[in-house]
Amino acid sequence: MELPFGVYNTSFKQDLAVVRTKTQWVMLILLVALAFFLPAVMPRDWLSWYTTAGIFIVAALGLHVLLGLGGQFSMCHSALMAVGAYAAGMLAGSHGFPAWLTLPLAGIAAGIMGMAFAIPAVRITGFYLVMVTMAAQFVIIWVIENLRSWTGGNIGMSVNKLIFFGDEVGKVGFCWVVVAVVVVCVILVKNIQRTNAGRRLLAMRDNEVAAEVMGINLFRTKILAFFIGCFFAGIAGWLWAYQVGYLNPAQFSFSLSMKFLGMLVVGGLGSTTGVVLGVFAIQLAEKSTDYVNPLLSDILPSEIAKNLGPSMALIIFALVVILFIILEPRGIYGRVQRIRLWLAMHPFSF
Amino acid sequence: MGDVIVQGVCLGGIYALLALGFSIVFQASLVMNLAYGAQIMVVAYTAWWFSSSVGAPSWAAILIAFVASTILSPVIEWVFIRRLRGRDLLSVLIATLMLGTLIRALGILVWGGQAYSYPFTPSGFYEIGPIKVLPAYLFAFIAALLVFVVLFVFFRYTKVGLGMRIVANNHVVAQSLGIKVRQLIQISWVASGLFAAFAAILIGMTNMVTPEMEHLVLGKAMPVLLVGGLFSIPGTLVGGLLIGVAETLGGHFFEGWEQLIPWLFMLVILLIRPWGLLGKALVRRI
Repeated sequence: MELPFGVYNTSFKQDLAVVRTKTQWVMLILLVALAFFLPAVMPRDWLSWYTTAGIFIVAALGLHVLLGLGGQFSMCHSALMAVGAYAAGMLAGSHGFPAWLTLPLAGIAAGIMGMAFAIPAVRITGFYLVMVTMAAQFVIIWVIENLRSWTGGNIGMSVNKLIFFGDEVGKVGFCWVVVAVVVVCVILVKNIQRTNAGRRLLAMRDNEVAAEVMGINLFRTKILAFFIGCFFAGIAGWLWAYQVGYLNPAQFSFSLSMKFLGMLVVGGLGSTTGVVLGVFAIQLAEKSTDYVNPLLSDILPSEIAKNLGPSMALIIFALVVILFIILEPRGIYGRVQRIRLWLAMHPFSF
Repeated sequence: MGDVIVQGVCLGGIYALLALGFSIVFQASLVMNLAYGAQIMVVAYTAWWFSSSVGAPSWAAILIAFVASTILSPVIEWVFIRRLRGRDLLSVLIATLMLGTLIRALGILVWGGQAYSYPFTPSGFYEIGPIKVLPAYLFAFIAALLVFVVLFVFFRYTKVGLGMRIVANNHVVAQSLGIKVRQLIQISWVASGLFAAFAAILIGMTNMVTPEMEHLVLGKAMPVLLVGGLFSIPGTLVGGLLIGVAETLGGHFFEGWEQLIPWLFMLVILLIRPWGLLGKALVRRI
């Protein structure tokens, strides 16, 4: 992280600080205040867009811990989100747990499920890991579809409304809940990078064999990476369950898992700020279809125009991610860093 | 029971055909072309569109599909994959995955998401002794065996095939030995496109032409490759047959299990022998 001009670290404490200068503190507090203020003034469709983006940030943060910090590929993130969502729905619905208690329980359920699938991951890396997690995606969704007595199968399961001090939480109120969870999760992830466990994750990402030789227990570190990553997925699942109010295996498709990957790539792998930027970029790109589709349907012949609905969001999403991989592999965050460096150095090139 | 096993064997042949076509590119350049399924889908739709909407005779439709596929495949390499050379496994993987999504979405945009069947699908079934086989399945199985023999000979005895194996091992070494790396990779993509057309027509006849064909590679070809061993051509055939038989038997005895079985099979194999049944274990170095 680049420091502003004239600021130097003179103590270990300063070196460790996530937020270093007063200006950064003010900016950060303003940003969080804006995030809390926005839902109150947003129109209806943008409010639900904003809430969904917040939920995806939480899930993508989990994937960021796994992939960006730990270097462990996961293609089953939406299935683990489903585990969290169904755990919340079942515990609150048929067992009468209070909704606030199911929040950590949903995370833990998803975390344990992720750990179970991580056990083969200990012996394999790279491409094989992709395949195991992809298998996990399909196996978990298949089990949810077929455990009809617990989950309602393909018909789905409805989730009770969230109750807070005797009142039902409305749309805006729920959006505040999501923003609060996002803020807590971002703080958590920012701090994971500074702990012993976080540094072990980074060492494992950079070179597994070297990390093992240095005395890092790969088995425990990988399991830990999967637990933390999937814990966040479970939390996102809990939020999703209460936002949608109705769970269905089709919501947690393989393309959602791919979407999380795309968000990380677009934002910039390995950076927490990048996750937030990437999620908003992808969500904005997909939201733009609401405005692009009517224009296109006037131009295109009617046979093709009727197919715009199911395909246009996917086309834009895939195009954005491919262009980022080819042209800007370090993502939006990398580009922002470079622009900042250029501004700081301005009259000189380096 | 005999019918079920024969059907499983034929299905296994189709899976092996899929996996072999996919593995050519992988063996030549270590690129996992996850867009292969979307390629198959587009080719299948092209053949269907020419034979039903345009009204071309079936042989012409099939021919057009083959030509389209062999052109599409190197174009993908030329436009996208070439720019990713030297990148890590992860970005190539995500790029091809997204490319598959893009091609599939474009296909849905043009042809809609409905399922169609070919007008030239042979009807009825052959009776070989007491066993009944659907003709499309039998063709598929024979085609898979042919492709297997051709590829086995190709990678073991021909100059181009041996060159591809060196290229996969190390680009720089191959280049310094005087092998034209770029040209070989192009050839591998053309061949892979050719086999994609085979798979598209045969699977279009045995199943239907749907956008779900994109998932064939991820859902069937990958487990087959991993069960057999990534670099082993006989392993791919063995893996295909095993998974095909296991899947049909599983679907025969337990309703709804047929989608799960390839994945479970693969998970078990990866737990016991991560390098596959006939593959070689990788040695890790710092």
